[in-house]
Amino acid sequence: MGSTTEQRIRSIDDLDVIVDTDFHLTERQEDIFPYLESPFDELLNSQQGDDYGYLGRVYPAHGMVYSVTIGKADSETVRTKEDIQKGRDLVEWDKAIITPTQNLYLGAVHHDDLAAALATAYNNWLLDKVVDPDDGLYGAAIVAPQKPQKAAEEVERRADEDGIAAVMIPSGSVDPLLGHESYYPLYDACERAGLPIKMHNAAGTMMTRFPSTWQAMDRALPVHATSHNMMHQTNLADMLTRGVPERFPDLTFVIQESGLGWYPYFMRRFDHDYMGAKWDAPMLDKRPSEYLKDQFYVTSQPVEGLDDPQYLNETIRHFEGEDSLMFSSDYPHFDFDNTGELLKILRSEFTSDEIQNIYGKTAERVYAFD
Amino acid sequence: MSESPQPDPDRANLHHVTAADDIADGERIIVEVSGREIAVFHSNGEYYALSNYCTHQGGPACEGLLGGTLDVDDDDELVWACEDEIVACPWHGWEFDITDGTHTASDEYRLPTYDVHVRDGDVYVEL
Repeated sequence: MGSTTEQRIRSIDDLDVIVDTDFHLTERQEDIFPYLESPFDELLNSQQGDDYGYLGRVYPAHGMVYSVTIGKADSETVRTKEDIQKGRDLVEWDKAIITPTQNLYLGAVHHDDLAAALATAYNNWLLDKVVDPDDGLYGAAIVAPQKPQKAAEEVERRADEDGIAAVMIPSGSVDPLLGHESYYPLYDACERAGLPIKMHNAAGTMMTRFPSTWQAMDRALPVHATSHNMMHQTNLADMLTRGVPERFPDLTFVIQESGLGWYPYFMRRFDHDYMGAKWDAPMLDKRPSEYLKDQFYVTSQPVEGLDDPQYLNETIRHFEGEDSLMFSSDYPHFDFDNTGELLKILRSEFTSDEIQNIYGKTAERVYAFD
Repeated sequence: MSESPQPDPDRANLHHVTAADDIADGERIIVEVSGREIAVFHSNGEYYALSNYCTHQGGPACEGLLGGTLDVDDDDELVWACEDEIVACPWHGWEFDITDGTHTASDEYRLPTYDVHVRDGDVYVEL
């Protein structure tokens, strides 16, 4: 990797490496059920039963009337390596951290032990059918937040697997919030394994975490527009107050799929409140925003304001995104970003090295690719 | 703070505040010295003098509640600490350690402090 400082980046062809930090599978539970281990293999795979058309789904359905789910708009299916290649040809990444879709709802599964078993089954399937580090296909091992101790064991089991570059917490429906000490064994396992934790919500998981708010917003649009950043702010506020980054100083978190503008706002908002409430967060030795800058990263999709370059560039500068923002496509979800769209804007503000960071170099440092 | 007269500071720099007995332990008085509002606290047997002008937005920092704060011990358990050494500015709740003027959360803000001398039952601040 030679210096690219002098080379002007005009298009994605000029990038040394493109790492897509959020490239989704659209797995079905029938993909992963065969990978369940005992006793849930026997419990769920022995008999067919009659599920009345929907009760066989163990992942709670949010019931949101959403364009993709009702067939109003088409979205790609990604369940095989061939499907992945199709998306790769479009997004043009060199490496990707492959993430789930249905299992973003894992934290809402209404059976804690089954949730842990589903995490194991998904990781079994991922390693068997999807991950291929020689071809740049890396996975995030998922864990069930319902069972933090089992989550820690799951991390230990996967830590040395080639192709597992991160751990993902489906963070949209966690109870308690992610600062709680019950998660410390999980954080400890990830820190020791050198695996960053991806925090990824799903809009629909807000139904368990903000139930009355969910009920009040009886459309998909307001839920999707607000829930990702709302849930992230809630978890980050809890984690900072309880000192998670101070307790696990070598642990890295990646905040996904929530847009950007709320993040520099949250940094300043939380710092501001912290100045008058140090007694409430005695674990911290630095300003909250400093922990965010040191140990937290943000992925790009969906970037709001692509039609407002000045806003977007300033926003990214406001949280030092040149060191902490990582490109992600979110393919094939309906709001995915094409690879070159953000680049067109960044060129007017950021140096070539900074753009290389955002598109892949930072991700190569964050994720456990080796 | 110094209770002994040696080495004798320049007498001209000492400003009489009040009799030591006038400030009970856990109390404070606020006086004006050379145009500056200065708070003199008596806390845990010691005397401390600080500017009463908050470095945040100019509030009367030393007129706020005096108490302690939560901290963590070596096992990261919450403990009560600094009893009667933390004053909270009444404008925004920013807390300062009266023993050295430092803000509890940030090194960027600090209340100016002044040396206090107690002589023959009287309290003086040195400017």
